[in-house]
Amino acid sequence: MQKLQGIAVSPGVVIGEALVMDNEGFRIPRRFVARDAVEDELERLDKAIHAASDEIVRNREAVSQELGEKYGAIFEAHLQMLQDSRLRSELEEMIRQRHYSPEYAVSRTLRRYARVFQRLESSYLAERASDIFDIEKRLLRNLLGRRREGISHLTSPVLVLTHNLTPSETTNLDRRFVRGFVTEIGGPGSHTAIVAEALEIPAVVGTGPFLTEVSGGDQVIIDGDKGLVILQPDEETLASYRHEEEEIRSMATRLQALRDLPAETADGVGLKIFGNIEFPYEVDHCVDRGADGVGLYRTEFLYLGSETEPNEDVHYEAYGQVLRSMGDKPVTIRTFDLGADKVPHLPDPEDERNPFLGLRSVRLALRNLPLFRTQLRAILRASALGDVRVMFPLVTTLLELRQAKMVVADVMEDLQEHGIEFNSKLKIGMMVEVPAAVMMLERFVDEVDFLSIGTNDLIQYTLAVDRSNKDVVGLYNACDPAILKLIKMTIEAADSKPIPVNLCGQMSGNPIYTMLLLGMGLRNFSVAPSAIPEIKKICRSVTIEQCEVAASRAMTMENAREIKSYLKEELKKRVPELGQ
Amino acid sequence: MSQPTATRTVVVTNESGIHARAATLVAELVRCFESKVMLIKGNERVEGTDVLQVLSLGAGQGNELSLEATGQDAEKVLDELVKLFTENFSEEQSSDKEGNGTENK
Repeated sequence: MQKLQGIAVSPGVVIGEALVMDNEGFRIPRRFVARDAVEDELERLDKAIHAASDEIVRNREAVSQELGEKYGAIFEAHLQMLQDSRLRSELEEMIRQRHYSPEYAVSRTLRRYARVFQRLESSYLAERASDIFDIEKRLLRNLLGRRREGISHLTSPVLVLTHNLTPSETTNLDRRFVRGFVTEIGGPGSHTAIVAEALEIPAVVGTGPFLTEVSGGDQVIIDGDKGLVILQPDEETLASYRHEEEEIRSMATRLQALRDLPAETADGVGLKIFGNIEFPYEVDHCVDRGADGVGLYRTEFLYLGSETEPNEDVHYEAYGQVLRSMGDKPVTIRTFDLGADKVPHLPDPEDERNPFLGLRSVRLALRNLPLFRTQLRAILRASALGDVRVMFPLVTTLLELRQAKMVVADVMEDLQEHGIEFNSKLKIGMMVEVPAAVMMLERFVDEVDFLSIGTNDLIQYTLAVDRSNKDVVGLYNACDPAILKLIKMTIEAADSKPIPVNLCGQMSGNPIYTMLLLGMGLRNFSVAPSAIPEIKKICRSVTIEQCEVAASRAMTMENAREIKSYLKEELKKRVPELGQ
Repeated sequence: MSQPTATRTVVVTNESGIHARAATLVAELVRCFESKVMLIKGNERVEGTDVLQVLSLGAGQGNELSLEATGQDAEKVLDELVKLFTENFSEEQSSDKEGNGTENK
């Protein structure tokens, strides 16, 4: 048994069979082969070496012909490396003596060579490690053949263990069978985290390297609550996790009963609990949990999921699907919140040393109007189908907001000219996630229809912490007094107008903060669909007065740790079954 | 019944050491002869035809290598090998079949 600690990004517990993928999205099959299969496996290895050699020869000839003999030379080197006699005998030894699968043996052995090269003093030679990886990939491709299908076609439930997941892998994965994720790298904001949350399956990221310790088919436990991954668990651990799985299931059933009860406090103050979604299919999760609407529809995956820029109809289709399922409930669409590096067809930024402070989100939109207009046209067209609202991310200055609104007005005019239907009273809001915007909210509230607090970025910018950096992630605290003050300022600014204010960051879905936020005056929560029942349960268990007392007490405290432990205690006191 | 043996010592003089293309040239040359050739750096001995092993020696500029050949043409193969080393694996030549002036990155 081996335990790995990572970052918990999507809650829940799951026990299952591992599907291991390498950097390239290859599925690495089982580590061991049966004794009587050894000869067949060796034959398979030799066939793969042979096929790989043939490929290299063909490449060499093609490249030599096109670019000249000297460019083909590197392939000659690859060919020779592949035919290295000691390499062959090392592989054979692993398969024969240790019963490793050829794939596993190839991966182990070539990576060892790569490490040797990387350690060499000559930087020139160290670079040669990439040649070794190249050969490894070529051999694996030949060994795996048609089995190299990644996670888009699966036939049985699996837990996906991988170095990292690319956006296109996550969008194309087989949703029916993926039950959990573990990635070696990544932080709370990674694609894996977002997708796992969307699929409502447990996920742990940032475990550090471990893929060499596990092989396809191994039994694995993912504890998405504690951020733990357990490889080859023993009987005792298995039993305790099976019990936990059962508990979670029964708690979910109990919470499910809340679905059709209104979101309100024990003393009858009405609230709204919306769902945050990223993919259209998640709207079903919202409906299932009795959400009051979609409070945050992130549109980034429309851009990340494919190689080409999504056209207007792609946007419109996605929005339409969400709106149809939501009926007359509101759907707030956030315009794209990406850096230039993530948008296909945009040139890579030159000076992006500091992406979070760089050209992203609404800034990028305002610099690439055709891209922005395409999305806005689709949103406006969709506004004829239901209660659509639009909001802009990362608004920092009044000027930005006005520019963005002008683009909307412009697109409206265009649609009108073409006689295309849309809602001319479309509500326009902004994300509150830059401290500068909070400072200027008294001005902003005159020019927007609603506010939505994005705590993830607000915390990062206020506390100057990159939460994907493990060395400082400990400084990232949702309940830092400075953050509470900014949230309070935002709620007060909205109430002064009054316009609605919503909180859609992860803080909103964390039960610890529900009482605090209610006490600070928040009445609209937007949370991951899976968190809706829990948050509703808390709201229905407490009175506003209790929350106000807790909030004002918390706001007198000096540091995040003190505040957090106080809020935990309060939750335990008021809602014992959720306050563990 | 013992085979003739020969030994030489060479110093790697080219800037990038025994890189992939150089190791390939060594292997190709050794294969043209009957003798078995070992390259020795410190405690490590590798066979001249095994490119991966030769590369793993990590022989950089200024490193000294011992060459050992066993076989009928032991002297001859080492003469040729020494020539290859002293010519810096033909690196200076700009373009011909064995030329390596622009090693691919």
